[in-house]
Amino acid sequence: MTETQAPSALLPLPYRPRRLPWEQAGIYALGVVVALLIGGVAITLVGGDVRSAYATVLRVSLGSVVGVGQTLNKVTPLLLATLAVVLSFSGGFFNIGVDGQIYLGAIFATGAAFAFGALGLPRVVLIPAVLLAGIAGGALYAFIPAVLRAVFAVNEIFVTVMLNFVALFLTEYLATGPWNDPLAGEAITRPIPGGATLPMLIPRAGTHAGILIALGAVVVVAWLLARTVLGYQIRAVGDNPRAARIGGVPITVITLFALTASGALAGLAGAVEVSGFHYRLILGLTPGYGIMAILIAVLARQHPVGAAVAAFFFAVLLVGSDSLQRSVGLPASAVFVFQAVIVLTVLLAEALRKR
Amino acid sequence: MRGIVKRFGDVVALDGVDLALQRGEIHALLGENGAGKTTLMNVLSGLYRADAGTITVEGEPVEVRAPRDALRRGIGMVHQHFELVPQFTVLENVILGREGAVWLRRNRARAAVQQLAAQYGITLDLDARVRTLSVGVQQKVEVLKALYRGVRVLILDEPTTMLTPQEVDALFSTVSWFTSQGLTVVFITHKIREALRISSRITVMRRGRVVTTCSRATVTEQQLVQLMIGEMSPAVPARDGRLRGDQPVLVVRDLAVTDDRGSRAVSGCSFEVFPGELVGLAGVAGNGQKELGEALIGVRAASAGSIVLDGRDVGRTSVRRRLVQGLAVIPEDRLREGILPGMSLTETLVLGPHHFMFPRGRYDARRAEAACREAIAQFQIVAPDAKVPSAHLSGGNIQKALAARAFLLSSVAGSKLLLAMHPTRGLDVRATEFLHGRLRDFVRAGGAVLLISEDLDELMTLSDRLLVLYRGTAAATFERAKFDPYQIGAAMTGVGTAGSA
Repeated sequence: MTETQAPSALLPLPYRPRRLPWEQAGIYALGVVVALLIGGVAITLVGGDVRSAYATVLRVSLGSVVGVGQTLNKVTPLLLATLAVVLSFSGGFFNIGVDGQIYLGAIFATGAAFAFGALGLPRVVLIPAVLLAGIAGGALYAFIPAVLRAVFAVNEIFVTVMLNFVALFLTEYLATGPWNDPLAGEAITRPIPGGATLPMLIPRAGTHAGILIALGAVVVVAWLLARTVLGYQIRAVGDNPRAARIGGVPITVITLFALTASGALAGLAGAVEVSGFHYRLILGLTPGYGIMAILIAVLARQHPVGAAVAAFFFAVLLVGSDSLQRSVGLPASAVFVFQAVIVLTVLLAEALRKR
Repeated sequence: MRGIVKRFGDVVALDGVDLALQRGEIHALLGENGAGKTTLMNVLSGLYRADAGTITVEGEPVEVRAPRDALRRGIGMVHQHFELVPQFTVLENVILGREGAVWLRRNRARAAVQQLAAQYGITLDLDARVRTLSVGVQQKVEVLKALYRGVRVLILDEPTTMLTPQEVDALFSTVSWFTSQGLTVVFITHKIREALRISSRITVMRRGRVVTTCSRATVTEQQLVQLMIGEMSPAVPARDGRLRGDQPVLVVRDLAVTDDRGSRAVSGCSFEVFPGELVGLAGVAGNGQKELGEALIGVRAASAGSIVLDGRDVGRTSVRRRLVQGLAVIPEDRLREGILPGMSLTETLVLGPHHFMFPRGRYDARRAEAACREAIAQFQIVAPDAKVPSAHLSGGNIQKALAARAFLLSSVAGSKLLLAMHPTRGLDVRATEFLHGRLRDFVRAGGAVLLISEDLDELMTLSDRLLVLYRGTAAATFERAKFDPYQIGAAMTGVGTAGSA
């Protein structure tokens, strides 16, 4: 078995120098300010008013109960996807296939909802069954790159990226073929039975209970990484696989676990999206949550609690940016530029600060 | 350099240091681990930026913000840990970064490099891949690389730590030749004898300050010891007589191991280690020590033969199984296979012991940190606290931490055999003596130590028995009573078949 480079060797995080909290906070603030400035230039270029545009973003995403509710709904998949990335990065594995695993989780969850819903199971049984099916779907899908990496030393980046396409086409097939909703006329499946849907947390705002699941996952992942020997071994493998091996850490087991568990979290995200938000499997279920999750994980320095904060911030941007399209005419995808600028600025500031 | 100050967080690494170098001199920078020698030179070579102080080159104040600026002034450094691309050839490594704008003018570069090598008396096979080269040869590549970049002030950071005596001799004569060509050499070391042997002037550093700068002619070894550590060092611990048990704790039979290139590094290697003895494994670098060690640890598969540890064949088992069976390890390459650079010192320290410290699967941070604080105190590791990122420690302190880890493992796992690979590399006098004492204590308590080292003095001081590894086999054995450096040296280089049981 060969050891490839840990992410810390590729991303600018090798030493993770200890910084004072206010110093780190300053770096984040700087990232946001630079992104706001560059975003402002973009808004001005398309003829919009900068101040009202930013005010719109905040008002839409945070200014009302419904806005906050929708933002929380966006936090849920983003946060679960980020935790998936955090877990795999901690072990030194690049899971670029979170989006594919979200789809597989969604497919399994939808299938389970159809199958068990037909049996007329009660809601208290049906919902856990749907969520567990999603977890299993994501985990099984991630098990493929995990085995290839652990046993055959095949780079997981290529495998996970390619499996994203497979998942996408599988979803398209199901949504337009066997599970297609004939009434809809687009690539979506029939709705799942009402008993398989997540309850509402804030009915007035349309916020479903998924956010609780995501926050629970934060606790679990944080606990796993910091307080268990398994988590310690994952981080050790991620930091220096050779040293970990000499320290008697079973690399194969750790590889299998870290990647599979990462997929399980992604699959859970897919199941929550189906059961809590869309109530069906749709093409475009994830608008690149897995990729955004990589940015968030880097920004949060792979810390689960930090990830929750950063995911919330990104969700605000996502929800708010939809409104920019309407009010300023800035394409909604401009939000990705904004997100990327923040991450790049923070990384740059950290790198310069290190000297 | 005047009034140089460098802080890392709340640690003051350099506290107003003055240093003047004269053209054509060999200037030794002498001090213990963490005295600030390397940090000072990292400031000079642009790797760190000083928080205060000025640097003047040939009467002209210069601002060194990056290694590039230093190189422009002809200042270059060869680090303790080499910065070579292992897959590249020697030539490619030497010209890396100066290949020219677009085209790799290999032939023109080759001629230039060859001429340079000839001028400075360096012999190298320019087409060899760097990963196939021994440490001593890799060092020559680093030196040549610096010269190719037009370096006039060459800084060598602990250049002799990984070299055999012969390689040290070769290095010293090369360096002496450099000065005759007008180069200035800064020689960072913690070995007083080396400083006295090679340098024209010596600057002694202690705790981030310069104690004194003096000419070699005016100081004695004893004075330097005092200047360096501020007190006299204790004598080498007294050795005791026969302790050896009857049943071997380690039996290696006909072991064969292949190296990364697929050729036999170890073959037909057989030996035994008994409880209560310290067995030294001597050999010129590249005679299979590394591969033998890796096979014993279990990170490199043996292609034939058996390894019996405490009565059980562990030759095909996992590393963890061997730790349970009684193996403790101080690994060879502290950075690549020792520490967890991005994790805390505590987390580096419990890597291995963690199998035994947390039996119920819960990582108990409090227990781990307590163990770490104890190790810091016992081994005098210079670290602000147990949570410092491991990579922030200096080389010598990392080495101390890895030794502390092996002893921690032996205390929680009841290890019976300690495999110590180059355990005192980069340690200063005091730390070396302390570690030697700990190794002897371990043996006195009935443990066995297999010590792999390239330092023959160390091996002869410590070992009860000495094995010589030559071309992958245990070619000769010497009992302590019959230690003779000349005969051992002959066995190491394959001259004759000297040796007796």
